[in-house]
Amino acid sequence: MASDSSPAPFNNGPSSPDDSLSSPIGNTFSSPAVDTSRRNRRRGRSTTPSAFATPPHPPSRFATSESTPTPRRSRSNPRQAAVSTPSSASECAPSSEGGDDMDEATPTFVWGTNISVQDVKSAIQMFLKHFRDNNQNQGTEIFEEGKYMKAIHRVLEIEGEWLDVDAHDVFGYDSDLYTKMVRYPLEVLAIFDIVLMDIVSLINPLFEKHVQVRIYNLKTSTTMRNLNPSDIEKMVSLKGMIIRCSSIIPEIREAIFRCLVCGYFSDPIVVDRGRINEPTICMKQECLARNSMTLVHNRCRFADKQIVRLQETPDEIPEGGTPHTVSLLMHDKLVDTGKPGDRVEVTGIYRAMSVRVGSTQRTVKSLFKTYIDCLHIKKTDKSRMLAEDPMEVDNGSHRVEEDIQFDEAKINQLKELSRQPDIYDRLTKSLAPNIWELDDVKRGLLCQLFGGNALKLPSGASFRGDINILLVGDPGTSKSQLLQYIHKLSPRGIYTSGRGSSAVGLTAYVSKDPETGETVLESGALVLSDRGICCIDEFDKMSENARSMLHEVMEQQTVSIAKAGIIASLNARTSVLACANPIGSRYNPRLSVIDNIHLPPTLLSRFDLIYLILDKADEQTDRHLAKHIVSLHFENPEIAQQDVLDIATLTAYVSYARKHIHPKLSDEAAEELTRGYVEMRRRGNFPGSTKKVITATPRQIESLIRLSEALARIRLSEWVEKSDVIEAFRLLEVAMQQSATDHSTGTIDMDLITTGVSASERMRRENLVSATRNIIMEKLQLGGPSMRLLELLDELKKQSSGSEVHLQELRNAVATLAGEGFVVFHGDSVKRV
Amino acid sequence: MVGPPYDCLANPLGAVRLTFEKAIASGSHPSSFDGKDWGAIDLFRHFLFDQSQLSQVPILSPATLRWVQPNTLVRFRGMIQDMLGNEFYVGAYKDGSVWRTNKFMDFSKFPMDSSPDMRVWERRLLYCVPVPGISSWAESASEVAIDRRMNWTSQQRDKRGRMDFEAMDAEDTPVPADNFEDSPTAKRMREDGHPSPSSQSQDYKTEAACSSTNVELEIYHDSSPCLVKIYDSPESELKLNDVFEFVGVLTFDSEIPVETGDRDDFCNDYSDDLLVHLPPHKVPRLHCLIHRKLAAHDFLHKSPSVEQTPHLVKEARESLLRHLTDVLGNDGVAAHYMLLHLLSRVHSRVDHVAVGKLSLNLTCLSKESFSVFGIQLSLAIKNLLPFSTCIPLTLEYLSRSSLAPKKDYQTNRLIPGVLQLAEGSHLIIDETLLETGTLNSVGVDNARLLKNLLEFQKVEYDFTYYKMEMPADVQLLILSEGKSNILPADVILPFQPSSVGTSGVVTTEAVEAWRWYLAAFRLLPHSIESEMQKVVENDLVAARQADRSIGSQDFSRWLTMGRLISTSFGETSLSMEHWQMVMELERQRRERLLPYRN
Repeated sequence: MASDSSPAPFNNGPSSPDDSLSSPIGNTFSSPAVDTSRRNRRRGRSTTPSAFATPPHPPSRFATSESTPTPRRSRSNPRQAAVSTPSSASECAPSSEGGDDMDEATPTFVWGTNISVQDVKSAIQMFLKHFRDNNQNQGTEIFEEGKYMKAIHRVLEIEGEWLDVDAHDVFGYDSDLYTKMVRYPLEVLAIFDIVLMDIVSLINPLFEKHVQVRIYNLKTSTTMRNLNPSDIEKMVSLKGMIIRCSSIIPEIREAIFRCLVCGYFSDPIVVDRGRINEPTICMKQECLARNSMTLVHNRCRFADKQIVRLQETPDEIPEGGTPHTVSLLMHDKLVDTGKPGDRVEVTGIYRAMSVRVGSTQRTVKSLFKTYIDCLHIKKTDKSRMLAEDPMEVDNGSHRVEEDIQFDEAKINQLKELSRQPDIYDRLTKSLAPNIWELDDVKRGLLCQLFGGNALKLPSGASFRGDINILLVGDPGTSKSQLLQYIHKLSPRGIYTSGRGSSAVGLTAYVSKDPETGETVLESGALVLSDRGICCIDEFDKMSENARSMLHEVMEQQTVSIAKAGIIASLNARTSVLACANPIGSRYNPRLSVIDNIHLPPTLLSRFDLIYLILDKADEQTDRHLAKHIVSLHFENPEIAQQDVLDIATLTAYVSYARKHIHPKLSDEAAEELTRGYVEMRRRGNFPGSTKKVITATPRQIESLIRLSEALARIRLSEWVEKSDVIEAFRLLEVAMQQSATDHSTGTIDMDLITTGVSASERMRRENLVSATRNIIMEKLQLGGPSMRLLELLDELKKQSSGSEVHLQELRNAVATLAGEGFVVFHGDSVKRV
Repeated sequence: MVGPPYDCLANPLGAVRLTFEKAIASGSHPSSFDGKDWGAIDLFRHFLFDQSQLSQVPILSPATLRWVQPNTLVRFRGMIQDMLGNEFYVGAYKDGSVWRTNKFMDFSKFPMDSSPDMRVWERRLLYCVPVPGISSWAESASEVAIDRRMNWTSQQRDKRGRMDFEAMDAEDTPVPADNFEDSPTAKRMREDGHPSPSSQSQDYKTEAACSSTNVELEIYHDSSPCLVKIYDSPESELKLNDVFEFVGVLTFDSEIPVETGDRDDFCNDYSDDLLVHLPPHKVPRLHCLIHRKLAAHDFLHKSPSVEQTPHLVKEARESLLRHLTDVLGNDGVAAHYMLLHLLSRVHSRVDHVAVGKLSLNLTCLSKESFSVFGIQLSLAIKNLLPFSTCIPLTLEYLSRSSLAPKKDYQTNRLIPGVLQLAEGSHLIIDETLLETGTLNSVGVDNARLLKNLLEFQKVEYDFTYYKMEMPADVQLLILSEGKSNILPADVILPFQPSSVGTSGVVTTEAVEAWRWYLAAFRLLPHSIESEMQKVVENDLVAARQADRSIGSQDFSRWLTMGRLISTSFGETSLSMEHWQMVMELERQRRERLLPYRN
């Protein structure tokens, strides 16, 4: 019976843990010990894993016959340990059939803990054999093999050397095993490897390579900063950036010696506690020469080793700190998987080793060097927001490695946020909170961040989902600051200045490699910001040539190159955010909008939103500015900006929305779109209008769809509703100051500008306009006699006793009505038409 | 309180041990400490502050390092230049049946076996250097205390120590040495030798000789770094570039040689940083017991305990203003602006805006007049402020120097740049030397760095794979011929001297009063009454209505100036009178600017 024999090997088998190289942390040491006093006490627990087994599966002969593993000293030489283990297993008497009486066997415990080795082993067997993905079809599954059995077969086919195991799977199958694995990785992983090798040899007894388990994707990952002594000897997972790789170090695993006297070759001597014991005497009976053995290098077995330094990623560094670093130890296949500059996520065992002052010194310097014994390394490329873009429709194959993992709690938090009725306003407020007012511009930028849905028809035609925005405005209206802010927030944001950008610098250029003479394609800013936002400052100062390159990018979203024998079309699915000064630096109210912007209409029509940010001499605005700056200087700025989402939440929100929300147009919304578009077209054909007005084109309806989709996304809603469409129309109108545009001349009445006016103020103005309209409807006949403005004012004052109405405001309101063609406004008299 | 049975100064570790044993005896288990303090810190805090023995503790400097014994209590004043991460050490262990601790020491005194009872704790490593650009008076102030205790140990030791130090000087400053190897001024500087901190007059001469061209040497000369090990203090307390005073146990020149023989390659690769690059016999280690942040007034010889009577404040202000007017060749307006400039600091940050900075650009200075006024001015500033530096903005300097700190991954260290400055440093940028020419990419980068510092008070540190912005608080004074376009300052003032600048006769008391005045008043809080706020707002609106070119930057400048003017009078809220002074000053400045408008 196994119960009698199994403990035996352990008393002589394990190596002593008192090795200066290994960790000195006493209580976490694994040293197999027989704890006979705890016999049978573990029974209740040991049955737990088997409860998972469906159908009841009698442990196979192999599974029970092999010995409990010899937990190793150090994971740093896994191969050696694994090689030695089976040999000790063979000494162990194979147990008879019927592993059912496991509970009668003497449990072997991981030293210093109450973890039974047998329990762990059977739990791992269960896991490897029976784990199935949840999302597989439940019905057919019984006849199928488990996920990891399939993986093992695949490994055998490709003669791989490792098996990747998702820690989430382990957790899902047996959370107890997961806890043990994280807490005592050295021991549990050793058992894991042994179980795996057993399975492998069961499938293919001739398979020679040693297959190792690599755990990845732990439930929790720590930051480098939070690593502390309590993490030593535990499995940790952390993110960082590789900053330095050592050269590859060949590490000896097995040494063969030759006698210089008789030429006898010794048996392979394996590494023991980090060193090779050189035999002093020739083993050959006839020779027995002393000190004659010499190492035969080319018959020794070496393994690759590499030391890599990992540094904290910039976003984890607190203010006023410098990044922390940690060393990684990589073995075998992990060597050279990352190069300096890569962002990686590492799973490994945190270890410490004491620093010896010198061999002569008995005192150990009371210091430790820490490092991570690397088990698994995964490259991530997450710089800012989610770079992997969900706007792309045709990617059927989702990448396995997701950049940002949204956990349940986070998602709920975001959803909670989205349910707030004022989410749109709150997000607007949170965007560049220190830039004062410009609410509608911020709304537009918000739409750009969220983006619309890209569409690719089977016929090959595609519609972009990216929203392009142009800001045109007077100097000193914080356009550049907005640009900088968006650049910092957006995924793969690139910031260029028009003056310093050439056409090739923006798109792509071909250069000759000085060494090889080959022509290589180098990406420009637009290609680099593929799936991001490309911010172009001083757009007006860009050369004509460079600007014309943008035509293709902004509509087809590709960059085509045909030069130096390279014909290529590169993806540039980027949103463009440009800003420009009006011609002559300041906006000239006497010129029309088009003349002021002075950009070719072909380019203009590619912008979804064109914002005119005008600085006008308004005492109200000036007072706001003064107040704002005074409060900046004298009040606690933290209090001044409350109720604002922090950047992290904002980014998470945007990423989540872009990734998971793909809104569709509801019927109601579609109807509204059609109606609004027709209206817009008609206004373009306003009697007497010249070509000085930006009229609606089919491009605009696409813009409107994108904007409404983005607006729905902001609410995390799967459906575009009518309100979204109305808001999209409003944004478009506000952007162009259309309410203030005189359609007959194309100029803007500076007093009517609504950008930079707060929402409440705008409401007030709108109310005034409608009140005025009502009065005119009441008092004036169509084509009847005119009415003086002052009379109108009196009427208004009579009706709305609460608020004060100024003559100038009324004048503006009437001008708005005149713009609609409702009245004719001449001098001081109002006439209805 | 009964007198302690140990000498905190000479045997601090004894005191630590005693408290540890006491804590153990009182029943606490070492594992419950988890590296936290068990009462030792309180003991030292009581000793140093309640019994005010702080001045008895020698300050670590190249001079004192020669005679200070290891394992005694010392203090070190310096800036945190780099953070070297955490270090795990055996905190507590059992020697037989007795618990021992290793806290505050490098080596355990008792044999240690790897027993299961060993407790591993962690401590933080900070690499500290003397504050860059520290003025000689501030430095010598730190050493006042020692003179009393000058008990020179044997001459022999002293000699050896000095040799050590010279060797160290040559080796420990590879960066600036490389940069300056072939510049003639650097050689001259080297021949001058290190200014001895004791003789003030000679110091002055040396400083005069070193005009603005060799700042880097000034920063790094006598660089005596110190590796400070911090125990139990939250991470947020100590930040990069902060100036601190650390009191702790010194370990230095440990006789144990670093052996490399017996270690396998595994060890070697891990010990790449500390032992090799900062060998313990060159860089002293300080196991910090108590640390406190230093402000400018901590560097004064004696902090005048005079209460701030309005009369005294006014006197100090007026005499300082007179002094500045003298230095600036009777240009009263410039002196006023200079005073405000010297009092400015970044008091809050709202996103990218650093509120409270007031950088000054004195224009109309040519190469010739710089030699008259510029040097006078930089000397005067050096004499007033504890930390000040000067950058000559030549094409060559821009293209060759490394202004931003850069991470060297080979040694895993942050290589200091000229712009790694402590909070509240003063920086003069001399643009008069700039000539036309082409900048290389380094130069463009450096110009951008300076501009960022000027606009946002931030410096980008170069971490090779990414840049990291570090907030800074530096007063910037730009001297240029015309308005500096590379470096847009907050205040641009054409400099109009009417006589040759003289520093006049300045008494020591006066200088000390000014230093105290600047140090203390800079930190005054400030507020605004709601009525005054109304007035200010109205004025701003009116100004903008009258002149559309006035923007938020001008508003900001006025408000900063208003704050600084009331600060200069020792008041904490803006008054009408001071606000009108701002307007008057600005009016005078605008008048001067008029001829330069195109």
